Amino acid sequence: MAQFRLQSSKVLAVSLTGDGVKAKNGSMVAYDGQMAFKKMSGGGEGIRGMVTRRLTGEQMTVMEVKGHGTCFFADRASEINLVQLHNDTLYVESSNLLCTDGGLRTGTSFTGLRGASQGNGLFTTTVEGSGQAAIMSDGPAVVLRVSPQYPLNVDPGAYIAHQGRVSQSFQSGVNFRTLIGEGSGESFQIRFEGDGLVYVQPSERNTVGGEV
Amino acid sequence: MSTPVVLDPMTLPSDDNVNPYTFCVELKGSSWFLQRGKMIAYYGSIDFQGIGHGRLDRLVRTSFHSPLHASDWVVAEGSGKMLLADRAFDVNSFDLDEGNLTIRSGNLLAFQPTLALKQSIVPGFLTLIGTGKFVAASNGPVEFLEPPIRVDPQALVGWADCPSPCHHYDHGYMTGVMGGLRQLTGLGGASGEEHQFEFVGAGTVLLQSSEALMPEQATGATPQQAGVPGGGAAGQGGQGAPRLPGQLGDLQRRFGL
Repeated sequence: MAQFRLQSSKVLAVSLTGDGVKAKNGSMVAYDGQMAFKKMSGGGEGIRGMVTRRLTGEQMTVMEVKGHGTCFFADRASEINLVQLHNDTLYVESSNLLCTDGGLRTGTSFTGLRGASQGNGLFTTTVEGSGQAAIMSDGPAVVLRVSPQYPLNVDPGAYIAHQGRVSQSFQSGVNFRTLIGEGSGESFQIRFEGDGLVYVQPSERNTVGGEV
Repeated sequence: MSTPVVLDPMTLPSDDNVNPYTFCVELKGSSWFLQRGKMIAYYGSIDFQGIGHGRLDRLVRTSFHSPLHASDWVVAEGSGKMLLADRAFDVNSFDLDEGNLTIRSGNLLAFQPTLALKQSIVPGFLTLIGTGKFVAASNGPVEFLEPPIRVDPQALVGWADCPSPCHHYDHGYMTGVMGGLRQLTGLGGASGEEHQFEFVGAGTVLLQSSEALMPEQATGATPQQAGVPGGGAAGQGGQGAPRLPGQLGDLQRRFGL
């Protein structure tokens, strides 16, 4: 199984012993040993994945890296966060996903209104199984636990990923004040309930809801 | 593998930094002022209201027309813990004790209502007066320096308890015909450091470790009055003849004429 570790907060090092990982296309910055890079169409999910990704707009270009040695990945000096999955599902925006273990399955799922408020489309990428994955954020991510007694509200622009059994609902505080241009700027929030982890970045993407 | 620290309401710090880029505020029925859109997540029940919409504030708003940039500020009220962050910049909290601090408007993130926020007479700056905590963002960690000091305009974040910020130009560089030409054309080597802000007196000057400025936040219009810095056309009137089209700005003065 591929071993993930952080060479620095912005460079991911993966040790491979004959097995493979899936990584964002073009994110390799260095490697030692023997490596083979192969671009995978449709996120490595076959024809079906290709079509779904095209239809849902959750496009990602992925390459498969196989070999012996250490491969280093980085992307635009984004901060990298490691995620450990134990028969679990990680939901992440395709633009924030850097690298996943070869044994993990990736797919797409419907997110509903949350995606729309982020301007990221209505679908998100899922990573399922057991193994490691690396996600990127603008500034080091803060990992927040959601438990039944402590639900969490997150700004759509700062949300990057979540894992575990959590349900998300979209909350809108839009009222007549928003309409007259006196909104609080925090009108849209995603509420997470259940049991799991939510990854939040210390920065906000421009979102449709951001100005409201 | 380094496992990331998982935080929940119990382990989140209270009114302290989570990491250099994220600040956690604990609300216990109290309120905080924050700049629009800087809240990234919260636990508990917290209400966000545009300023001027509370029960009392409404009265204040209708009867009180200050040039306050009210619409850029939000009041967070309730109980719980909320996380603040600003475009992955460094954030830090500072305590004021019966003091005053002037800060670049884009850098101020949040403050306790025990502090009074006023528009500084220096355009683009805000002044906080009183006792309480506030959170400011900077590009790179903040350095605290004691006057007398000259600082680069782009690196200046703010100053506390500190009188007399003024402009300083390197004299030899700015005067005479050659100086004027250099200034205008950049030929002959402009180091980009000919102009500084100078601080003297007792106090503290806050610097960021980068010259990247944060986008300025509107501080509201200054009253259109003579004698108010940045007060518009009315402020400049009265001194000297109006500029003629052929006069090319301050050219004649730059050439020492």
